[in-house]
Amino acid sequence: MEFSFSSSASKIIHSTGFFSLGGGDIIMLGVACVLIYLAIWKKFEPLLLLPIGFGCLLANIPMSMMASTDSGGLLNFFYQGVKHEILPPLIFMGVGALTDFGPLLANPATLLLGAAAQIGVYMTLIGAVYLGFNMQEASAIGIIGGADGPTSIFIASKLAPHLLAPIAVAAYSYMSLVPLIQPPIMKLLTTEKERKIKMEQLRPISQTVKIIFPVIVTIVCCLLLPGVAPLLGMLMLGNLFRESGVTARLHETTETHLINIVTILLALAVGSSMTAESFLRVETLKIIVLGLLAFSFATAGGLLFGKLMCKFSGGKVNPLIGSAGVSAVPMAARVSQKVGADTDPTNFLLMHAMGPNVAGVIGSAVAAGVFISLFGDAGAAIDTHAALAPIIGNPEPGMQALATVVEAVKQ
Amino acid sequence: MEASISAALNVSVLAMGVIFTVLVILIFTIQLLVKLIPYKAPPAPPARAASSPSNQDDQVAAITATLASHMGKRPDEFRIVNIQSH
Repeated sequence: MEFSFSSSASKIIHSTGFFSLGGGDIIMLGVACVLIYLAIWKKFEPLLLLPIGFGCLLANIPMSMMASTDSGGLLNFFYQGVKHEILPPLIFMGVGALTDFGPLLANPATLLLGAAAQIGVYMTLIGAVYLGFNMQEASAIGIIGGADGPTSIFIASKLAPHLLAPIAVAAYSYMSLVPLIQPPIMKLLTTEKERKIKMEQLRPISQTVKIIFPVIVTIVCCLLLPGVAPLLGMLMLGNLFRESGVTARLHETTETHLINIVTILLALAVGSSMTAESFLRVETLKIIVLGLLAFSFATAGGLLFGKLMCKFSGGKVNPLIGSAGVSAVPMAARVSQKVGADTDPTNFLLMHAMGPNVAGVIGSAVAAGVFISLFGDAGAAIDTHAALAPIIGNPEPGMQALATVVEAVKQ
Repeated sequence: MEASISAALNVSVLAMGVIFTVLVILIFTIQLLVKLIPYKAPPAPPARAASSPSNQDDQVAAITATLASHMGKRPDEFRIVNIQSH
């Protein structure tokens, strides 16, 4: 092999990323640095925005093979967990293991606040359709109003995978901005007298009820909306680990190591989908504006329903807990507590707000289930099974073996 | 465009109806569960045995030392005559 200094030097220069760096890449590297800055110095959802930002940074370095679309690249493998809807349900399992449904069980009427806050999802759906998105895309954008990152990613990867990056970034950015977005709306829509309402102490709940609840929710909701089973099923399994008292090790793993590992994989995968081609589009700006509207309408919906409940209960419900119906556990509940305490420092709303807050998680999952029922591809599961058949084998031999065992038992 | 918006409105109304229906079913289910399986307070822990004379001496010594330090007096300048638990 002939060696020429000039040709080799030229080859090395041409193989650097600098040579292929385009304007879009430079802008996206800037976006990545902004996300990293917001995560580290402004503490905006750092657990998510930091790996998302770094994933974006890696994905936009030319020839690094780190974009989600680079087949065979490291982050392409991580992205398969998003594409095949594996990672968001695992995050939900961790959320279930971390969540105490006690306040919701003590005051089940607060489930209605979690339902009312979903109005943000549908107002945004209408707005997105008005701005020219089709129904699937509008559904994926609307679910940002559910204030639930994993649900947004789950629905976006199912209904509008090309919009996954801006939807995920908008969802997590606005979730981190809940303490800034919600208080002005809360103060605007409630009177000082309403904000001062002190709620009765929550009644204690039997441990048996706490154990049965996740099983019942899974049966009822997943029978009504089978499409939501991956999300809600995992949420309730995580909660059953917590409440059953017989799976301490699984509970501990789920609420700590598992959710942390999956968060890293999910956030890097989302970041890796933020390439110039997928992100630097007019649609991204529209999604960011619609996401803000979604959060605002969701907050307003929960608050207005809270006011209604306040009126019908004879002033026993503080409407501020309604804003916690937007999910975003537990930040939205903390905001209700803070705004209540700002008006009356002796008012403690946190536990009361946790009811609608966890109801919001269930509500947004149900909203996602409705979208999957309406717009999801029912044939996808069959196709997936057909594609996996050569790998997992024909189920027939298994059935034959089972029949043999049954016959043997009969004899 | 108009047809799409009316379709979005229809979807919204239908979906909100489904969400409220599902969550109302859950509310009734929870209420039924809580009614059927009421909370029972755990049995109270056994009452503490009365302080033995030696325990009480230790307590008197500790309280005397603390009060003396707090009031800036010598321990023999005052005397604790009774300790009452509430």
